[in-house]
Amino acid sequence: MQRRRFIQALAAAGACASLPLTSIQSLAASKALSVNDLPALEGKLTLYLGRGEGGLYENVLQAIRDRNPKLKLSVRRGPTAALANTIVAEAKAGVRRSDIFWAVDSGAVGLVTEAGLAQPLPKDLTSQLNSDFQYPNWSPVTGRIRTLPYNPDKISPEQIPSDIMALPDSGLAIGWAPAYASFQSFVTAMRLIEGEKATSDWLRSMKQRAKSYAGELGVVMAVERGEVDLGLANHYYTLRLKSGKPDARVELAFSKGDAGCLVNASGVLALSEGELPINFIRYLLTREVQSYLASEAYEIPLVKGVALPKGLPPLDSISPPDMDLTRLADLRPTLALMRDAGVL
Amino acid sequence: MKYFSSNYRTVFSAAILTLAALLTSGQVAANGPIGEHVNHLQDHLDNYTKDVQWLITKVDGIVTTYESKGRKAAQTDAVVDHWEAVDFHAAIETNFVPLYAKIWQGLYGVKQSIDDELPIDEVRQQQAVLEQVLWQALGAIKLAAQYQEQGLLSTIKTSSSTPTTLIGSLDEVKHQLDRVVAKYAEKLPGEAIKIVHDTYLNLFEGVEGALIEQDADLVVALEKDFNVTLPKAIEDTKSVDNVQQVVADMKDKLNHAKDLLQAANKEKKAVF
Repeated sequence: MQRRRFIQALAAAGACASLPLTSIQSLAASKALSVNDLPALEGKLTLYLGRGEGGLYENVLQAIRDRNPKLKLSVRRGPTAALANTIVAEAKAGVRRSDIFWAVDSGAVGLVTEAGLAQPLPKDLTSQLNSDFQYPNWSPVTGRIRTLPYNPDKISPEQIPSDIMALPDSGLAIGWAPAYASFQSFVTAMRLIEGEKATSDWLRSMKQRAKSYAGELGVVMAVERGEVDLGLANHYYTLRLKSGKPDARVELAFSKGDAGCLVNASGVLALSEGELPINFIRYLLTREVQSYLASEAYEIPLVKGVALPKGLPPLDSISPPDMDLTRLADLRPTLALMRDAGVL
Repeated sequence: MKYFSSNYRTVFSAAILTLAALLTSGQVAANGPIGEHVNHLQDHLDNYTKDVQWLITKVDGIVTTYESKGRKAAQTDAVVDHWEAVDFHAAIETNFVPLYAKIWQGLYGVKQSIDDELPIDEVRQQQAVLEQVLWQALGAIKLAAQYQEQGLLSTIKTSSSTPTTLIGSLDEVKHQLDRVVAKYAEKLPGEAIKIVHDTYLNLFEGVEGALIEQDADLVVALEKDFNVTLPKAIEDTKSVDNVQQVVADMKDKLNHAKDLLQAANKEKKAVF
């Protein structure tokens, strides 16, 4: 996987969105489909939906229901990791209660795909996604980037190390939320990229200077009021804060080529065979749904030709690490490391 | 009926809108399984009435024993045991948590005054307060039963569920804050603080992102309430009324948050 290429392609996709209509049509093979291009959904489907996103996924589901009155959609909601474990446990027991799994993070997707439970996706579906996000048996839906939000009144961008591993030695006051799931995925990525010892050392050093918050919005707010110089958080918290408070004293910085700027994604997969689950997934990849999640949740659309959320800096300046996102499912060693380091 | 005197009616009329709002949140009690009877209040009013009369008799017996034989003979732990034994407990807990908290306050008022060996007049005063709130609670249940019969109230869920909308989450946050007061009144401060933390992490945190787009200062204020003001009031063993006031202030802010999010929802673009 080439994440740098992905970001460049994303930036190009954002540019595509402003091209004249004729130019967009000439890219028909790679652009996002409209919901008007899709067949009506008819029949019964059971979806396991990982909780999150403040109800916006629910709005998407309701819109799909409203548009497809002959679709009988049952939804079971729960924490993403718990649902992934349930799917695997049900399969071991010889039952399948879910037709589709929509997870808020790709690690949980990995748990299910590794168990061999995901159905293959047709090429014409996966080819709508950016080339670095095309997987044979699951589809990313939207993405989020790890960022370093900082207070420009307290520090300058030059004071922020480009290497996440150098952060503990930066002398900066740092805010983090170790109990937060996205943070733990980030530490998993660090463990896979840098190794267990380096990650353990990093956690222990960070613990000496980092202030803990319950969630990552809390981290960003602490940065904004100058309680800490810099924080670790997903990109959308800063964008949302700036949406409500345009003069908020917080800007985004990114590390380079390491776990500190990991791009993670929500993902969907089909557990049962047939056209209906596949066509349901197509709805999630439509231009309309991708645009909705970008504008309302500030998530990064992963389908070609859909504009990025407002407020995100030029993406071709960011260089996320090479990382198979499904490997982030391996959370237990991460939690053990964090407990050993005393940060959990 | 003595529990429908005019002053109680005033209390009920003021409370009934809140009651309806609480009922529509349709949430489950935390003290383990609750009976389906809470969805058939009308059928069980006689039982609830007997429960209240039985409780009042039992508490009166404890107070009378204290008066004649002293603190040790009174065995005040039975005050709580008796309350936990009746179905009325679940009916009021699932239907009107603020009154549920006041009942606990009244129970401990009697128990503590005996344990502290206060003069019998003061114990009888606490007993009178408890009796008043028990009748008040029974009256609230009777009104709730009428609403339930008319189909005006949502079914109370007897298994746990999770709100799926921001507005639903805010309603559930308010319900959980009432439970915080109830648990604190129950003399379970650790459990009260755990509910505060769980409510923040599992419910309010999911609302914050959308709310901060509407009013960042409001989120800051509520963050402080959840993480500092309310836990500190409990840890500092403030009075139940004091904790209740912190929760009331938070609920005012949550109501404002609800208004903001409802207005924002109207502006939100359609998915398709």
